[in-house]
Amino acid sequence: MRALIAAATGLALALALVLAMTAMGTPSGRTSPEPLLSTVPSHP
Amino acid sequence: MRRKASLVLLACAVFCAALAPLMRWYAFPRLARIPANQYQDMVLEAKGATLLDYGSLHARKVSKVTIVQTLKGNVEAAKKIEKTAGRPVVVWDSLSYVQGPDGKMVSRVPERYIFDAHSQDPVHATGEMVDGDPVTRQGIEFKWPFLTQKRDYEYFDAQTRTTGPIHYKGTQTFRGLKVYYFEQTIPWTKVPMPKTMPVQGITPETVARTGTTRWYSTVRRFWVEPVTGAPVYGEELHQEELRGGTLLGGRAKVTAFAGDVKMREDYIEHTVALVKHNRTLVLTLTSYVPWGSLAAGLLLLALALYLEARARRPQDPTPTQATEPEPVSA
Repeated sequence: MRALIAAATGLALALALVLAMTAMGTPSGRTSPEPLLSTVPSHP
Repeated sequence: MRRKASLVLLACAVFCAALAPLMRWYAFPRLARIPANQYQDMVLEAKGATLLDYGSLHARKVSKVTIVQTLKGNVEAAKKIEKTAGRPVVVWDSLSYVQGPDGKMVSRVPERYIFDAHSQDPVHATGEMVDGDPVTRQGIEFKWPFLTQKRDYEYFDAQTRTTGPIHYKGTQTFRGLKVYYFEQTIPWTKVPMPKTMPVQGITPETVARTGTTRWYSTVRRFWVEPVTGAPVYGEELHQEELRGGTLLGGRAKVTAFAGDVKMREDYIEHTVALVKHNRTLVLTLTSYVPWGSLAAGLLLLALALYLEARARRPQDPTPTQATEPEPVSA
């Protein structure tokens, strides 16, 4: 019984970690103020 | 004490073992995404190209034609489309600006490309266009999906506004990176005139009235890093002709542009460095963490079982006390 509880705890922690990571997601940020270029840039 | 330690190790083993599939199949599709606010420019050059002189309407050899391609993620438009699409969306506003050797504009073609931030599947919404013409893209454009496979893909051609297969032609090594080589041939196809013409006063409508049409053919080559799906190098054997009509003064056709378009060297170096960095991030989600945690899980499980087994081993027998025989009474 104690082994089952330990396994369930490990599983719950893994789930919680992954859910928290994905809930934070990737920040969308803001549209860049840089223009669409109509001149040749000298470097990247 | 040993039994308590083995239970803690068991919990850790399950944590690690569960983390492996969760990271690969749950977190990876949600975390590996093209940023909505991406801004990227690219310079391509066609050295020794043939270009139409719009003044004399004769083709001439020029030292170099430069193509500046900018991609800009439109975050506001993406958020708006996401509400109806129900999935993460990226909106790229792009401009392909072609410049002759004298620095004058040859053509400028804007595009809006809308796609799923993880799978790169096209998303259809108002505003999707090429040079102001509404389009409904199928397939990919500019970038391949994460974890690109060794197979043909459908690739959207902006000039013809059609989608055709781009063929997987083998695996190569490009500047230390394993890449998949893809090739697409677009046969001679009649295409619309660009909305912005290089000579003031000439519009697609005035050209159309002369009966002259624009034709295009290309062989498109991409070297794609398969983990990120990002092309690290690209080339295009690009040809354009004007055919028929009164504009050509009796000639059947004239070359408008012909050249082997290649990425500029400094942009190749920049792209390779960027892709190498992003490759590590994607591999962390798809390979390093899943395999690492699975191995750690198995190791911890073995250790937990070992401790448990030792805790259950019978102790050394304790000496039994000699009992005096009880007197037997009759």
